Amino acid sequence: MHKWPKRLLLSSLALPLASLPAMAAEKIISPTHLWNEIWQEVFYDLLLIGIPFGLAAVYMMIRYRAKSPGQVGEAVNLSPAAAWGWILIPCALFLADDLLLFGKGWTLWNVQRVVPENSVEVKVTGHQWYFDFDYGKGVTDSELVVEVGKPVVLRMTSDDVIHSFGMTEYRLKEDLIPGRITYLWFYPDKPLVTEVDCMEFCGTGHSQMATKVKALPTAEYQAWLGKHKSASAGDLKFASQSDGAASK
Amino acid sequence: MTTATYDHAPAHSGGGIGAWIFTTDHKRVGILYLIGSMAAFIVAGLMAIGIRIEQFAPGESGLIQYFVGDIGKRMTTGDAYNTALYFHGAAMILGFLIPGLTGFAANYLVPTMIGAKDVAFPRINALSVWLFYCGIILALLTFVIPDKPDVMWTGYPPYSIKTAGNTALYVFTVHLIGFSSILGAVNFITTIIYMRAPGMGWNQLNMFVWSILTGLTIQLIFVPVLAAAVTLLLLDKYVGTGFFDSARGGDPLLYENLFWFYSHPAVYVIFLPAMGLVYDIVATMAKKNIFNYKAAVYGGMCGLVVISGEVWVHHLYVAGMPNWLRIGMTMTTLMISLPVGLMVLSLWGTLYKGAITYNVAMMYAGLCFVLLLFGGLTGIPLAVASMTVHFARTSFVHAHFHFIMALFAAYAVFASVYFWFPAMTGRTADNAVSKLAFWLNVIGTQLTFWPLFIIGVDGMPRRYWDYSPEVVGAVRSENWTFYHHLSTYGAAITAAGIFLMIVGWVYSAFAGAHVGRNPWGSKSLEWTHASYPIGPGNFPEEVAVSADWTPYNYAK
Amino acid sequence: MGRFSSKLGVVAIALLAVCASAGTAGAQWWRPPVSDIDPRLMYIDERGVLGNKIDPNTQLTDDRGRTFRWEEMLGKPFILVLSYYTCDGSCSAVNSALAGLLKDVKAMKPGEDFKILTVSFDRHDTQETAVAFKEHLSLPASLASAWTLATFKSEDDLKKQTERVGFKFFWSPQDKSFLHPGAFLFFSPEGKLSRVLYQQDASSRDVELALLDANLDHIRVTEVGNLLLTLCYSYNFKDGKYQLNIPLYVGVGALLFGVLTLSGSLIFYKLRRKGRVMKGANHAQMA
Repeated sequence: MHKWPKRLLLSSLALPLASLPAMAAEKIISPTHLWNEIWQEVFYDLLLIGIPFGLAAVYMMIRYRAKSPGQVGEAVNLSPAAAWGWILIPCALFLADDLLLFGKGWTLWNVQRVVPENSVEVKVTGHQWYFDFDYGKGVTDSELVVEVGKPVVLRMTSDDVIHSFGMTEYRLKEDLIPGRITYLWFYPDKPLVTEVDCMEFCGTGHSQMATKVKALPTAEYQAWLGKHKSASAGDLKFASQSDGAASK
Repeated sequence: MTTATYDHAPAHSGGGIGAWIFTTDHKRVGILYLIGSMAAFIVAGLMAIGIRIEQFAPGESGLIQYFVGDIGKRMTTGDAYNTALYFHGAAMILGFLIPGLTGFAANYLVPTMIGAKDVAFPRINALSVWLFYCGIILALLTFVIPDKPDVMWTGYPPYSIKTAGNTALYVFTVHLIGFSSILGAVNFITTIIYMRAPGMGWNQLNMFVWSILTGLTIQLIFVPVLAAAVTLLLLDKYVGTGFFDSARGGDPLLYENLFWFYSHPAVYVIFLPAMGLVYDIVATMAKKNIFNYKAAVYGGMCGLVVISGEVWVHHLYVAGMPNWLRIGMTMTTLMISLPVGLMVLSLWGTLYKGAITYNVAMMYAGLCFVLLLFGGLTGIPLAVASMTVHFARTSFVHAHFHFIMALFAAYAVFASVYFWFPAMTGRTADNAVSKLAFWLNVIGTQLTFWPLFIIGVDGMPRRYWDYSPEVVGAVRSENWTFYHHLSTYGAAITAAGIFLMIVGWVYSAFAGAHVGRNPWGSKSLEWTHASYPIGPGNFPEEVAVSADWTPYNYAK
Repeated sequence: MGRFSSKLGVVAIALLAVCASAGTAGAQWWRPPVSDIDPRLMYIDERGVLGNKIDPNTQLTDDRGRTFRWEEMLGKPFILVLSYYTCDGSCSAVNSALAGLLKDVKAMKPGEDFKILTVSFDRHDTQETAVAFKEHLSLPASLASAWTLATFKSEDDLKKQTERVGFKFFWSPQDKSFLHPGAFLFFSPEGKLSRVLYQQDASSRDVELALLDANLDHIRVTEVGNLLLTLCYSYNFKDGKYQLNIPLYVGVGALLFGVLTLSGSLIFYKLRRKGRVMKGANHAQMA
């Protein structure tokens, strides 16, 4: 697992940033918090580009109004050098900004897609129109219940049509596709009850396909687990999705 | 089939309805495209109003069924809403934006801008408008049949295969309109390459002509892929094949890839001609040459054609594609900023040292600057895979592409109608009503879509009609209700603006003030050399241009 | 067909075994023994277990007597065969069948690009039986080094970990052998179960594609050919085989059609115009 980050990406695209996710092994970086931070930076970047262009447009639209009927604009003819300059310099600037954003995005990507070791694994199956959670050892539930402080990795698939597992509060989402296994991990670092919504159109009940994600402190989590374990004791429904659905 | 078909096309003078239906005159074909696409726009716009009413508050409004023609209310709110979304998306893109730009504007303007008497294949042109009308009629059947399609304009399987809705209607609509646009593309590409006035070099073309050449090249190359994908979908649903059934060796993800392999380039089929129209209007009204013309054409427009086929995975950033592909396409998607940046610089630079006169067309073109800026900027975070992990399928995406497609491109079409109105009719639509409509549109659209950006950052899911506390949480539900209120008010104002605009057009076409030849003082052939209003054969005399002529040569 | 027939095949083998044993035991051989076996036991619910992982801390003993944890297998894609070492029936066939299929796998090299692990589900198996079985297999050198034969250290793990991948087996006392599916389980480098193929149906191409699929998230720039190969085929859950990915060919064909329409219409018009110019020149001459 720890070898993964380096091989995750096409080796030819290697940037110094590739070494960043190595930190993930030592301390868990929450993809949620990192998303929020990087969104802040990207937002300032957008302002940095947008404000000059916006002001320039407004200024020129007012400044260069025709003073008299029949007035014509002054032709701006660029010398070949100037024309190339107006191509190469802006392109270099745009490209620099692209690389900056790409670097930021990649940093976040490596956190989002590289699952920490020892994550708790939960299987998620999408149905029209509910989610089904299989915690292994026969424990299933219609809500996602996790323990605070333990990273959780979701192995997701769908039973019928394409769904998407969107945890707005955790800034994460990934599709559930029949015949494929997708994954998503998140770090519930504080007790929180929030919603997960289906984010890919799936039919009549699409906008009501939602359930809770409960990040519980250890004691409460154990209580929940105990309750569910006793409920399914002696029941060997291991990893069988259709059986999991029946527990609803 | 000859290029002299205008002889037996009674063009503008000709009388009855038959003369219109069987016309091969590119101007009449263009007007037919305008009427058909505006019809699609109006009905799809009504769906948008229905959607906004449904989203006004959490829970059911009980009204959406009326919008989709289910008067007896046999459909659930969810199904009726999905049908409204389907029609809104499919009709706006396939029925309004693409035909409005590559049907109406291209037909009316391309031959007249390049000094040609008609398009290269006038009868194919007539066939393409018939097919387009068949497609529109087929799409409108949605409101009549009981099993209304509800597959969104994307038609993703397995849903589109499993649904009780009529997926065939969707597929055949795509086929007809797709085929129509292929014929249009063949026609215009050939026309532009071979029928330019003697002496007209590649660097003397109107920006709009270039934008049609590049945009339709994309359309011609990529439309067959979409047609193939939806055909396989049809076989899966009605013949029982398993092309996209994962249980039988298919893969629904492959459909998504094929679909976006066309449909991302399709964004440029819309964006490029819209950009071309804005360029031409701005350059004429600022009496200015295009800033860095070659950079905008060869770097910007042609560059966009080259890059358009390499970025589609950004629609699938959370759709289970391999990790390395998503990060690779992040870079290619960010690189879109290079050609678009060159076009933006050139458009901005065109204002520099200009002498701008504001008519309604120029006001809309000015609005397009702002829409392009906002739409483009909000696209930047969506290019980055890891940012999109949160933004995907939220109303942030929804608002982003509405800024570019629904607002920028649609207002470019409307601007073009105002701008070339005198060329079409000899009258002007530029009056107080149209200015009022303009301001209603400005206020309405901004009020509609800015709230969607705000709640999109907070995670408002797209294609949701319900955002009750049990679905999205109590705090979000309450906050979002306020923004959805604003957005719905905005939609109402926009609707008023659009209504005034269309009424203004119809009134002006028959009773608007007459204006003299070339009222905007353009140097472009459709104003300077064509008959006015443009009549049969377009040009009274053969047109030839000198080497130093350009349509933007205002200063001596 | 395919997957279904594979199930049938497995069941048929099971039935034959039961019948044979019943016959040799002199029992009531005419009684149809169908009710004794639930056919569902014999195959893996692939869709239900894809993405599952074996506990990384599972302790195994290999044929050299070395104890290792499951985790040490990770880093490369690998094929897991669940079998047992003291038989001369179907289990040996599973391993030797895989060895036979791997001979024709060209895209990936055993040892270098992937590994093979056979683990016994018979709690009586030991290092000695594993060694004996490896000899019995007589693998070619290239495979022998990449192939580990192991046993579970604890019986508890044996039960739990085979369950995790949906593998079911049972001891048939009559014929003194295990009934079990002849399955190849493909794991990604992270240890996720990514594909299940069956001895009866799989071809070398299937095995090759399943290996490439397991490695898809780690594919390197130099392996474009392999990537294209995986694109050309898609997996059919029903038949448990790979098949040609027809929609992709149709899509590529459509794209070519678009390019041809573009170039074709330009060429057509150019030729036609040339013809007309010539004719026009003739007219002018005549005038």
